[in-house]
Amino acid sequence: MDSLRIMRTSALEGHTASGHFGAEGDGVVFEEVRDLNLHQIAVWPETLGSVGQTMAETYGVPAVPGPGKSVTGSSASILRIEPLKFWVVGAAASELAPEEGAILDLSHSRTCLRITGPEAATLLNRFLPLDLGAEAFAVGTVASTAFHHVGITLWHSDDGYEVFLPRGFAMSLWELLREGAAQFGYRILAPVEDQ
Amino acid sequence: MTARRLDAGGRIDRSHSLKFNWDGRLLRGFQGDTLASALMANGENLIGRSFKYHRPRGIMSAGVEESGALVTVGAGAKRDANVKATTCELFDGLAASGQNAWPNVRHDLGAVSNLFSRFLAAGFYYKTFMGLPPFEWGQGTGWWMKYEKIIRRAAGMGTASREPDPDAYEHAHAFCDVLVVGAGPAGISAALTAVWAGLDVVLVEQDFEPGGDYLNQAGPDADATRAKLLAEIVDADVRVMTRTTAFGLYDHGVAGLLERLPDQQIQNNKYLPRQRFWTLRAKQIIVAAGALERHIAFGNNDTPGVMTAAAARTYLNRFGVLPGKQIILSTNNDSAYGPALDLATAGASVHLLDARPDLPVDLVNTVAASGVRVTSGTAALKAVGGKQITRLETAAWTGTGWQSAGSENCDLVLVSGGWSPVVNLASHLSTKPVWDQDNCCFLPGETAAHIHMAGSAAGIWQTRDCETSGRVAGAAAAKALGKTAPDISKPEVGGWSHAISPLYEVTVPGKKLKSFVDPQHDVTADDVRLAHQEGFVSVEHLKRYTTLGMATDQGKMGNVIGMALMGEALGKDISDVGTTTFRPPYTPVSLGALTGRNKGDHFRPLRRTPMDKWNLDNGATMTEAGLWRRPWYFARSGETIKEAYIRETTTTRHDVGLCDVTSLGKIAVQGPDATEFLNRIYTNPFAKLPVGKARYGIMLRDDGIVMDDGTTWRLSETDYFMTTTTAHAAKVMVWLEELLQMRWPDLKVHVTSVSEQWAGCAVVGPKSRAVLEACVEDAALVSNDNLPFMGVVETRLKNGIPCRIARISFSGEMASEVYVPSDYAPAMMDMLWQAAKPLGGCLYGMEALGALRIEKGHVTGTELDGRVTIDDAGLGKMASPNKHFIGSVLRQRPAMMAQNRPRLVGIFPKDRDQTFNAGTILCRADEVSGHGEGWITGVTYSPAFGHWIGIGFITGGYQAWEGQTVVVADPVRRENVDVEIVSPHMYDPEGGRHHG
Repeated sequence: MDSLRIMRTSALEGHTASGHFGAEGDGVVFEEVRDLNLHQIAVWPETLGSVGQTMAETYGVPAVPGPGKSVTGSSASILRIEPLKFWVVGAAASELAPEEGAILDLSHSRTCLRITGPEAATLLNRFLPLDLGAEAFAVGTVASTAFHHVGITLWHSDDGYEVFLPRGFAMSLWELLREGAAQFGYRILAPVEDQ
Repeated sequence: MTARRLDAGGRIDRSHSLKFNWDGRLLRGFQGDTLASALMANGENLIGRSFKYHRPRGIMSAGVEESGALVTVGAGAKRDANVKATTCELFDGLAASGQNAWPNVRHDLGAVSNLFSRFLAAGFYYKTFMGLPPFEWGQGTGWWMKYEKIIRRAAGMGTASREPDPDAYEHAHAFCDVLVVGAGPAGISAALTAVWAGLDVVLVEQDFEPGGDYLNQAGPDADATRAKLLAEIVDADVRVMTRTTAFGLYDHGVAGLLERLPDQQIQNNKYLPRQRFWTLRAKQIIVAAGALERHIAFGNNDTPGVMTAAAARTYLNRFGVLPGKQIILSTNNDSAYGPALDLATAGASVHLLDARPDLPVDLVNTVAASGVRVTSGTAALKAVGGKQITRLETAAWTGTGWQSAGSENCDLVLVSGGWSPVVNLASHLSTKPVWDQDNCCFLPGETAAHIHMAGSAAGIWQTRDCETSGRVAGAAAAKALGKTAPDISKPEVGGWSHAISPLYEVTVPGKKLKSFVDPQHDVTADDVRLAHQEGFVSVEHLKRYTTLGMATDQGKMGNVIGMALMGEALGKDISDVGTTTFRPPYTPVSLGALTGRNKGDHFRPLRRTPMDKWNLDNGATMTEAGLWRRPWYFARSGETIKEAYIRETTTTRHDVGLCDVTSLGKIAVQGPDATEFLNRIYTNPFAKLPVGKARYGIMLRDDGIVMDDGTTWRLSETDYFMTTTTAHAAKVMVWLEELLQMRWPDLKVHVTSVSEQWAGCAVVGPKSRAVLEACVEDAALVSNDNLPFMGVVETRLKNGIPCRIARISFSGEMASEVYVPSDYAPAMMDMLWQAAKPLGGCLYGMEALGALRIEKGHVTGTELDGRVTIDDAGLGKMASPNKHFIGSVLRQRPAMMAQNRPRLVGIFPKDRDQTFNAGTILCRADEVSGHGEGWITGVTYSPAFGHWIGIGFITGGYQAWEGQTVVVADPVRRENVDVEIVSPHMYDPEGGRHHG
C-alpha cells in the first residue's frame, strides 16, 4: 500500500514547513499527523456490548471507552465520539455484519494536528468554548466542539491535544491557529505518519 | 482650576517619567498616571467640547462615568475616538487630541451654537425641520433628508478612522468556579474567601491597578492594607485580570469580558492582540463593581473646574495632584467630608456647603481641625466663568425652597450628590433595580441564585462593611458550590451616620439656569421638563425624547437626576417613575474586539476542495459557493469570462469536460433498515433499487415543499451513498439525524457525513467514456453494458487508487461522476486530465456548469428555495402515489396542488440578441407592476441555441403562456425585455444524449 500512500496529498501540503515562528519561545508545538488511518464503527443499541467486547479484544484494550472518552491499546486508539459511534485511529476496522453495526472509512475526511507545548490549551481556548482544565479535560477525553463555526473533534491523547479538522476547512483553521499561536512563539515539527 | 502635582504622595512612580502629546504639545506625566491626571498635573483645564452646544468641558470625574474629558487617542489608522481620559492609562508616546471642535478645543468655532442654545432644546431639529412648514406640509420629509446630514455634522463626538485597523484582536474562552467583578475592598475580600474555600477564582478589574477604593484613600494604612491583600491574592492563585471590563452578564453564568493589553506589552511582543474579547463561564458570579458619585443639577454645572468630590480625592491621593487651591464643595451627604479633609490637609482652602440644615457635628469637628469651613443649608447655584470656573453663586435653603445667597471666588467646585451603586450587571440579567429612599439610590434588587452583589454595588458605603460584604458573598458562592465557608453576618445597606438629603437640582425662582442632567449628551433639567410638558412621561419615552442616558456613559451620571426631575414634574416618587433597563455593554466594546480574528479571509471559514490547488495550478479563476471555493472558469490567455464559459460549455457538449464537483453533499446511509429509511424520505420508490445502481431522488419537508434533490447510490444491501446539493448538504444531514433520533429510533440506520472523505470529478461529454477507459484498471467495467445510465461501479484507477463511479448526468450529456478518497484528488485529476486533454477536452467551472444545467432545465438550490413543490419543479411524476413518504400528505393540500402556482419554465428573449438578468420579475405584457407573474432564477448564454436563455417560475407553467409575450421587468438595472416562455427542458428534451 506504500505506493498508494505516496499519492496522498495532505490538505495542508506545502503549508507545514518545519521551523520556529512568531514570538520568542516554544509556547506551542504543532505537528500534522499525516496519512490518517481513521475508521468509524457504528453499532446498534443492542450490539454495543458484543461489538464493544470484540473491539476490545481486537485492539488490545480492557474495554471500549464511555462517551466522550478514549482508550489507547497496543494497535490503535478508540475514541467514543457518539453514544453509538467509535472512531478507531491507527488501524483498519475489521468486518462487521450489518446486524452488528456499520464500518466506515473516514481516513481522508479529517486533517489531524497534534498540538503540544505549555500554551497549547491556552491557544485552543482562543477558539474553542471548552473547559480544558486538568480535571474537566483529562488525558483520554474526546469532545465534539466548534472552531470558528466549524464542527471539529478534539482529543486529549497521550501525545497532546489532537484536533481532527474537516479536511476542506483544515487550511483555513490552520491559518487561524498559526495567527493565534504567534504571540506564544511556536514551532512546527515535521509531519508524523499515522500507523 | 489651578491644579498642581505635589512633590510627594500618590501611587505614581515619580522616577519613571513619560512623554505624551496633547493637541500637538509635548507634555510629561508619570508611570501610574491616567491621561486625565497627567493633563490635570500639567494645568490643562479645557479638555473637550460638548456634544450639541460645543460648550467647553473639563475633567468631571476619575472613572468610567466621565462626561467631559472625552478625547481622541492615536492618529491615522490607529485613531480611537471618544476615549475617556479618566480611564486611559498613560504610556510613553501616547498622542491624544480634543474632539468635536474646530480648529481646537480651546478655540472652537462650533461654540456659536451655544449662543442659540435656548432654541436648541430636545426635539428642536425634528420639530422645526421635519415636514418643513409650509413647504412640506403633507409631503413627507424630503427636505429633512437633506438638512439632516448638515445638522448631524454640527453635533457629535470623535470620528472613527476610515482606514483599516492595523491592530489584531482576538476572542478567548475561560472557565472558573467564581468570577469576581471588581478588585476593590469588597471584590478582593470576596475573591480571597472563595479561593480559600478551595475554589478556582477569576478576579477582573477594569483599572490598570487592582485595589479599587484603596487606591483613592489617603495615608499609608490604605497602602499597607492593599499590599497585604494583593499578596494574599497572589499567594492563593486567584487569577487576576486587570485592564479587563466585565461588560455584560448573560444566561448560564456567561460573562463578557474585554481585556485591553497595555501598549508596552505589545511593543515587546508585536504578535499580541490589542484587545481580547473573553467569553467566561462561571458557576458563581460576585459583582463588586462599586458605586459612582452623582453630581447635582445647578447652573453651568458643566464648566471646567466642576467635578465630583470623590474624583478630587482620587487625583490627590492616587495621582498626587492637588486639583485646586480654593475649593468649594457642595454636598447633601456625609461622604464629602472625607475628600474635604484630605484636600485641606494637602494645603487647599476648602469651603464645604452642606445642603442639610442640620450639620453632622462629629464630621464637622473632624474636618474643622484641618481648616475646612462648613456652611449648612447651602448649595451651589451657578458656576461663573467661561472656560474655567472663577466664582460660584450659592443658594440658601429657606425651609421651603432655595434663594440666592451671594457668591464666592474659587478655582474648583466639587459636587457630591449621593452615590449610585453599579447595578448595571445585575440589570443585564433582568434584575430590576429597586429605589432606596433612605440612601437616595437604586439598589440591585433580588438577583438570581448564582449572582451575588457585594460592597458599594449593593449600597454599602463604609470600607470595612464592604470588606465584610465581600466575605459574605465569597462564602455564599463557596457554599453554593458545596464548599465549607465561614458564617458571616451581612452588613446593613447604607452606613452614613447622618441621613442623605434628597437633592437633585438647585434652582431659585425667576433665575434662568442651564443645569445639566446628562452633560455628555447636553441634556438639561429644562429638557426633562419639556419632555414632561409634551407628554413623554414614561422613563423610556423621556430617554428617547431627550436622549438622556444614551451617550457613551449610558446614564451613569445623569439617569437618577433625570428620573428625580421627572418624578417631581409628575408629582411622583422616583420609585414610581421607574428606571430604564441597563443593557450590555457596561462600557463601550470596540468593533475590532467583537470581530476578533474573524475578518478578511477569515470572516467566514473558507472551504477548499481537495483539488483546490490543482484547479489553481491549472488556470482556474475561483468563486465562492457558500463557504466553498470552486472553479468559476478556466480562461485561456486573452479570454473573458464569457468567452471562457462558452468555450467550456461547447467543448463539453462536443467532446469532454472535467469539473470539480466535490462540494456536493455526501452522506453514508448504513444499516439493515437503510432501504426502508430512504423509501420514507424520498418521494420516489427506493425499495427495489438494485445494488450497483443510482437513483435520482427528491425529498420533501413535512409541509410538502421540496427540501433537496440528488442521487443515491446503492453500494450493498445495507450501504448507500447519498449525494445532496452543495447548498443544502448540512441541512439534509441534520434532517436525517433528526428523523432517526426523534421519529424513527427503531430503524437500524446510521448516517454519517462523508462530504470531506470523497473528492469528486464529473467527466462529461460524448468522449467521457473514453476518458474513463483510459483511467480505470479494467476498461471493460465502464463499458455501456457494465456501466449504463445510472450504473455504479466500485473499482480502482490505473495507479491503484480506489474509486467509485456513477453514470449520472447534470449536463444532459453522457457523463459520470468519479469519486476517490480526498487525499488522492490531485493524483486523480492528473490522470483524468492527461486522458481528456488529447481528446480535445477542457476543464470547466461553475459558469459552464450553470450554462449546461440551465439548457437542460435541471434545478439547483437556487430553484429549490423553500417555496417550491415537487409539481412546481415539474417533477410531479416522481411523487409515488403508492407509498407514504415525508410530505406525502401535506403536499396534497389544495393550495399546493393548484394549477396556477408558479411552475418551472424556460425563458427565451423575443429578440434573440437581447439579454436579461437573474432575479428579475416576469410580468404580463399589459401589467408591468407589482409582484408580477413569476421570476427568473438563472440566466446564461446558451451555445446550443446561440442566444441568451433563462430558467425561472411563472404562474401556471409554460403551457399557460404559449404564444404570449411576457415582460422581464428590471427597472433598477436595465430596461424591460420582451420574452417568450418555453418548456424548461430546452436542450435535448427527449434526453437521448445522456445515453451516449
